[in-house]
Amino acid sequence: MTQPAIETRGLSQRFGDFRAVEDLNLTVAEGEVFGFLGHNGAGKTTTIHMLTTLARPASGSARVAGHDIVTDPLGVRREIGYVPENVRLYDTLTTRENLTFFARLSGVEDASDRIAEVLDFLSIEELADRRVGTFSKGMRQRVGLAQAILHRPGILFLDEPSSGLDPMGMKMLRDLIGRLNREWGMTIFMNTHLLSEIAKSCTSIGVLNHGRLVFHDSIDVVMKRYGDEEALEELYLSVVPVNAKGEAA
Amino acid sequence: MSDFTNHPVRTIAGKDIADARRDRFILIVTGFIALAALTSLITGAVALSTDVATYNDAKATLLALGKSLDSIAAPEFYPLKLLRGAIEQFEIIGAVLGILAGFRAAVSERGRQTLALIMTRPVKGWQFLAGKYVAGLVLLSTGLLAVFALAALALQLSSGVGLGLGDLSRIGIVWLVASAYVMVFYGLTFILTLWMKRPANALLISFAVWLLVVLVAPQIGDTLDPDNQVAGGVFKQLQVPKAEQDRIKAGYATFETVRNGIEAASITKHFERFSFAVLGIKDTYTGKALGPILVEKQGDFLWIFLTSLGLAVLMIARPINANRLTKE
Repeated sequence: MTQPAIETRGLSQRFGDFRAVEDLNLTVAEGEVFGFLGHNGAGKTTTIHMLTTLARPASGSARVAGHDIVTDPLGVRREIGYVPENVRLYDTLTTRENLTFFARLSGVEDASDRIAEVLDFLSIEELADRRVGTFSKGMRQRVGLAQAILHRPGILFLDEPSSGLDPMGMKMLRDLIGRLNREWGMTIFMNTHLLSEIAKSCTSIGVLNHGRLVFHDSIDVVMKRYGDEEALEELYLSVVPVNAKGEAA
Repeated sequence: MSDFTNHPVRTIAGKDIADARRDRFILIVTGFIALAALTSLITGAVALSTDVATYNDAKATLLALGKSLDSIAAPEFYPLKLLRGAIEQFEIIGAVLGILAGFRAAVSERGRQTLALIMTRPVKGWQFLAGKYVAGLVLLSTGLLAVFALAALALQLSSGVGLGLGDLSRIGIVWLVASAYVMVFYGLTFILTLWMKRPANALLISFAVWLLVVLVAPQIGDTLDPDNQVAGGVFKQLQVPKAEQDRIKAGYATFETVRNGIEAASITKHFERFSFAVLGIKDTYTGKALGPILVEKQGDFLWIFLTSLGLAVLMIARPINANRLTKE
């Protein structure tokens, strides 16, 4: 039996009296595309920060690619790639210079070959020697993705990857996520609040409400139970009720 | 070899240096310091050449009258004294350069979320911070080296007197200490910008510190110094004997301790005391050998280096607050 790509046990995070994430028990199997759904402020980014070792949990534990996030953060970092929301990279440097920098930090030996491979994979060879500061949001997002997959991580964390993208950009990103999962065998952990993205990209789904995991199952089960993609909204509203102001209750 | 090339500290420092070279901000501010230093130098050179011209006129008059030249003393000429204005400009603008460079080094990583990207690499927190410190040190000290080299060249051209190895050594020592002085402000601002919730507040606090340390404290110290109230010194002008001077000063021991304490709290004053002594700008040290000056001024030297080192250790040793990695 293979170990899960991500496994959390009672994972919690607090900021003062505010409980950002509470008692999160979650398992993401290897090779899954996991969609983490929730309203703004539900604790999705905080969860990613803990799993990527950017923040220490207040309590509980988690293992990513078999490494404990608290006792072996460097082990975790060797196995993951991360794309934050609205990543900008270094404006004055070219795409190639940005990627060389991140490849070196990841300890990639054959950096120039790997960069060529990634640029080809993402079809952004023409951006290689242009400064990142001149790029559109969609271009930046692809370069952001390039820096995250340079070292061929086993697990890729994406925080609101489709934020600010036009429909064309969203489709392109969706295709890339699918290819990374199928062709490179990456496990994808994706924060989003777009139900349509979950339906089109993910193999499993978790819903977070005010820091608590209120739903977790495979997308196949969801589809069988609720019928079609449109019904995802019905599912979401059933586990995350809204108040009179339209906010998550 | 490849281990060294890919070492995180070197990689981060190299990226910062390339980034700074491209955006030219540091270059522009350094150019501004160079301009201010050269302006001060030229002003000093003009004043000196007026003195020399006055002396030459007097000499010509005496010779025309057939009199001996022994009755007028040839002006003593120490070209390094011309650097006084440049050092004073540097104390103020150099500190601003350090603040701006430190702020940019930290805020750029926070605002672009690249800090989060770096910290999800197999890189230790101290390696990232050390890389930023090394980059700041290389950029600022290289910029200052260019300014000091330009000042030395201008000094030679304006005075017409060649600078010897001794003079260049003195300039080199002051450059070294100047780099440490600027790094104090770089380190302070970097730390505040990375630690504080709002980077803009860090900049405000840094400039408040700059105002106190660079402008207010040295001025208070100077203004309260009784011997500074008359040009050339009160005691000297009134021809008060040394024993009498000591007796008068003893009556104001507490006052003098407080006054000196205010001055000594300012790192700028330590830099000024050190550089004025090494360059022979202050009359007491003009023409004096370098060795004894360095021994006498080791306190100022240590103050600057230990403050700079302390801030560097603080900058590198403190873990990065995860809350500073979040979306701006």
